[in-house]
Amino acid sequence: MEQPAAVREAFEQEFGRFAGFSGVNSSSMANVAALDLAAAEASVRELQDLRTRHTGKKSALANLKKQIGRVAPEERAAFGQQIQQLEAGIVESLDGAARTLESHVAQMRVEQERIDVTLPGRRPRRGHLHPITLVWQEIEDIFVAMGYTVEDGPEIETDFYNFDALNIPATHPARSAQDTFYTTDGFALRSQTSTVQIHAMQRRRPPLRVIAPGRVFRRDTPDATHNPMFFQVEGLLVDRGITMAHLKGTVTEFLRRLYGADTRTRFRPSYFPFTEPSAEFDFSCFKCNGVGCRLCKGSGWIELGGSGMVHPNVLRAVGVDPEEFSGFAFGFGIDRMCALKYELDDIRLLFENDVRFLEQFT
Amino acid sequence: MKISYEWLRELTGVELTAADLRERLTMAGLEVEGLHEAADGDFVLEMAVLSNRPDLLSHLGVAREVGVSTGVSVRLAQAEPASLSGRAGELTAVEVRDSQLCPRYAARVVRGVRVAPSPEWLIKRLQAIGQRPINNIADITNYVMHELGQPLHAFDLDKLTERRIVVRRAQAGEKITTLDGTARELDAEMLVIADAVRPVAVAGVMGGADSEISDATRDVLIESAYFDPASVRRTARTLGLQTDASDRFERGVDYAGVLRAQQRAVALICELAGGAATEDALDIYPQPIAPPVVALRFARVRGLTGLDVPPHEALRILNALGFELTGAASEAAGKHTMPEFAGQANLDAQVAPNAVAFNCPTWRADVQIEEDLVEEVGRHFGFWQIEDALPPSPVAGEYRAHENRRRAARQALAARGFDEALSFSFTEAAHDGQYELLPGLIVRAEESFPFITLGNPIIEDAARMRATLVPGLLAAARHNFNHGTRDVRLFETGRVFAAHEEAGHLPHEREACALVATGGALEANRAAAPRELDFYDLKGALEATADAMNLPALEFVAARVKHLREGQAARVLLGGREIGSAGRLADELATVYKFRQPVYVAEVDFSALLEAPEAPARYTPLSRFPSVVRDVSLVADRRVAFAEMRRAAFDLNLEALRGVALVYTYEGEKVPVGCRSVTLRFEYRADERTLRDEEVDALHAQIISTLEQKFSRQSQP
Repeated sequence: MEQPAAVREAFEQEFGRFAGFSGVNSSSMANVAALDLAAAEASVRELQDLRTRHTGKKSALANLKKQIGRVAPEERAAFGQQIQQLEAGIVESLDGAARTLESHVAQMRVEQERIDVTLPGRRPRRGHLHPITLVWQEIEDIFVAMGYTVEDGPEIETDFYNFDALNIPATHPARSAQDTFYTTDGFALRSQTSTVQIHAMQRRRPPLRVIAPGRVFRRDTPDATHNPMFFQVEGLLVDRGITMAHLKGTVTEFLRRLYGADTRTRFRPSYFPFTEPSAEFDFSCFKCNGVGCRLCKGSGWIELGGSGMVHPNVLRAVGVDPEEFSGFAFGFGIDRMCALKYELDDIRLLFENDVRFLEQFT
Repeated sequence: MKISYEWLRELTGVELTAADLRERLTMAGLEVEGLHEAADGDFVLEMAVLSNRPDLLSHLGVAREVGVSTGVSVRLAQAEPASLSGRAGELTAVEVRDSQLCPRYAARVVRGVRVAPSPEWLIKRLQAIGQRPINNIADITNYVMHELGQPLHAFDLDKLTERRIVVRRAQAGEKITTLDGTARELDAEMLVIADAVRPVAVAGVMGGADSEISDATRDVLIESAYFDPASVRRTARTLGLQTDASDRFERGVDYAGVLRAQQRAVALICELAGGAATEDALDIYPQPIAPPVVALRFARVRGLTGLDVPPHEALRILNALGFELTGAASEAAGKHTMPEFAGQANLDAQVAPNAVAFNCPTWRADVQIEEDLVEEVGRHFGFWQIEDALPPSPVAGEYRAHENRRRAARQALAARGFDEALSFSFTEAAHDGQYELLPGLIVRAEESFPFITLGNPIIEDAARMRATLVPGLLAAARHNFNHGTRDVRLFETGRVFAAHEEAGHLPHEREACALVATGGALEANRAAAPRELDFYDLKGALEATADAMNLPALEFVAARVKHLREGQAARVLLGGREIGSAGRLADELATVYKFRQPVYVAEVDFSALLEAPEAPARYTPLSRFPSVVRDVSLVADRRVAFAEMRRAAFDLNLEALRGVALVYTYEGEKVPVGCRSVTLRFEYRADERTLRDEEVDALHAQIISTLEQKFSRQSQP
């Protein structure tokens, strides 16, 4: 025969070391906080054993419950109630301690697995496209959207394409070995992508609209604003009834797409052998919007490139009748656009391939 | 080119401020780069004169433009010599032996001058435009050049042998000491001004020291001439001697203004240095040059510029610029007394539908065709009035062929950690023969010289057009090492060049793509174990590129490549065709570059990649039955390639074998020296049913035994 008092006593004796954890109060929290994770996990397991031993099927408590039926009917209710209270007390003690311990363990685990979210993320090193490529692609995308076909030609050219067909007179200084590179077998490194105008007009008949981005070469000694090799984009449109208004509208539209809708352009008369009339074009400074700043040297305008109506001799050189067709051409430096966009103070950096420079662009 | 604001005011009476004038001129196509204050309230306009406008290299030329722009007319100073005596022919003689190179030569003499410093006003005016005063005679010729654009030269008549002028070509090797004190040797193409025996000036370029004006000079001969522009240009270039005179002659001076400039100088000499001028000049001008006559249809102005310029305004502009209507047209336009026309509307109606013809001014060698006239009208009417219009669009835009692949390749390489580089297209001859070139580039027989050479390089030693991108990237790697960056991954795409197999043809140009990789594989300072880059990183980048370009898989075959280290070099193939190489840089080259860490380089024929047919994406039904995967480790000689093992397995033609993959390779403990353990993973699957274990066991055993037989020293299943 088990006695409820003895059962309670036996439980309380074994539960003694957990008693400090079971209350819902600050002292039980403080008690549990003293345990490290291993001790707390061991305690959880021990508590589990304790529960099995004292509330399981083979426990003294279970035996007591079995005795209820055997108690005299008149005492049965009281006995039953007594057992119930005993069980409730034990379970409550166990649950209370278990809750405290388990929440402590959970919290310790969280703490242990806490990470520093500010450490740098793990990822492969990303490479970067060259700033000239970035600007080039941007220009190309805008002009393709405006109906232009991207064309290219050789970088080493005959005099015909580099000069003759472009109406550059035999005496023009650009032809001199001072200004243009020549190979030992007499070919010229193209000094402007205007050469592609000629190739394009030989390949396609008007109406046509073409842009030609590419490498060009001029015999400039490298310094902060010159390189003997640079990148240029040439545009050409030939159709019936084309005027300088179309040229200006086109250049303006391009620059608006690049620099924003309130960009303005202006023409200054100029001279290029392959256009007549010729004009240089400026656009309102994208940084100060024409007010004047360091970038535009206070003028509010940024010089960009040359343009004009295709010279009748150029049209004739490719068999297009200048009485039937007219066209415009324009050209500007991609390197220059790049220098403006990223505010480069020394364009030699573009070809030094210094990683510290290249990784600044995306 | 410096222009004095006060001087311009003297010529035009213009009221605009210097700043307003600057703006006005710039918008008319005369770019004023700078505006500075000078002494006595004067301003100096720094003009960037267009190469086709030699007339603007003078105050008169700029004044004409100011006149058109502001509606004022140009007033030239009176030029009547104060004292006249004798005729030029009595005092000297001029013989022009080459009138092709010297179409016009005028000589006039002033006797009894006193050479002395110039008066204050003249000194100031020259100093304002950056000229150094010398003496009254030299200063006057200089002054007149800056006023009228005609270079003049003053000879000391007494120093000319036989006191006469002979204009002729130099004899080859003939020598002259020019005013700058330099002895120069001439060639037979050069025109000289000579006396009876020797050259006394290089025509149109610089005078000789022997005949220079000195304090003792009494009689001066003033030369005013028109020399052939091309000849002067050639001479100046050949001698490396560019002067204010050659700048003007080589672009073309006003052949009709020769005497006027001379007269102006002679009058000033009489006034400032005393002496008496001859009554006339010896003017040798056997074939007077006729200015071109150019027709203009008024409708053409609108047709090209989009500007609505009324014909009377077009006429006003052209007239003010010096274009004169020719006879018939002139009558139609009535007496066009400038600046006002009688009955403009009437005139517009009369002339608008017609073409009118103009005699071009003799100082405007740049105007030859109708479009030139259109530009003159347009720029003075105002380019700023041109409106923005978009042309009607009958055509669709188009990228270059394969642009999507080009961009995909760049993105793929950037995603693999490669920064895009761009290098000059010229390179050093020292690289000749050190690198294996792309098979697609070299068409001619191997023994011939494939490199393209520049005759006039600008960077010392960089006289070759690059035939490979690799040296450029190696130089970039070195640059980065020198600046403290040791982890470098770069790629570049660009043209490479090689001579054509036949002479007289343009060189071959091919687009190449090159990679260089060295240093750590991971970004520093990140939560990951560091690792050094190796061949497989390079290969992976190429594979990723081919993938991104939607190409069939690249093949890599161990090979000997000139610039790569033996044993770590591969030839790269696409569809069985060689397109480049990849591997570790050879030690000899690494030493040249002073590299202290392994550097991996690859170069492939980018054109070939771009042009190769795309691998079409086509759907394969997904298998309804599971695959079975079995691994095996094989210890084989190190030189047995994974690709060989893989091929050997597939060569068994087992239908159920679906894949052979690498798990890892291992060398070290328990593996004999010279061997390595390769763990392979085989995937088995049937399309119509689930394979039974025994079936897979049998297939796998067959493969293992084949591989062992072929390659193995011992295996560990």
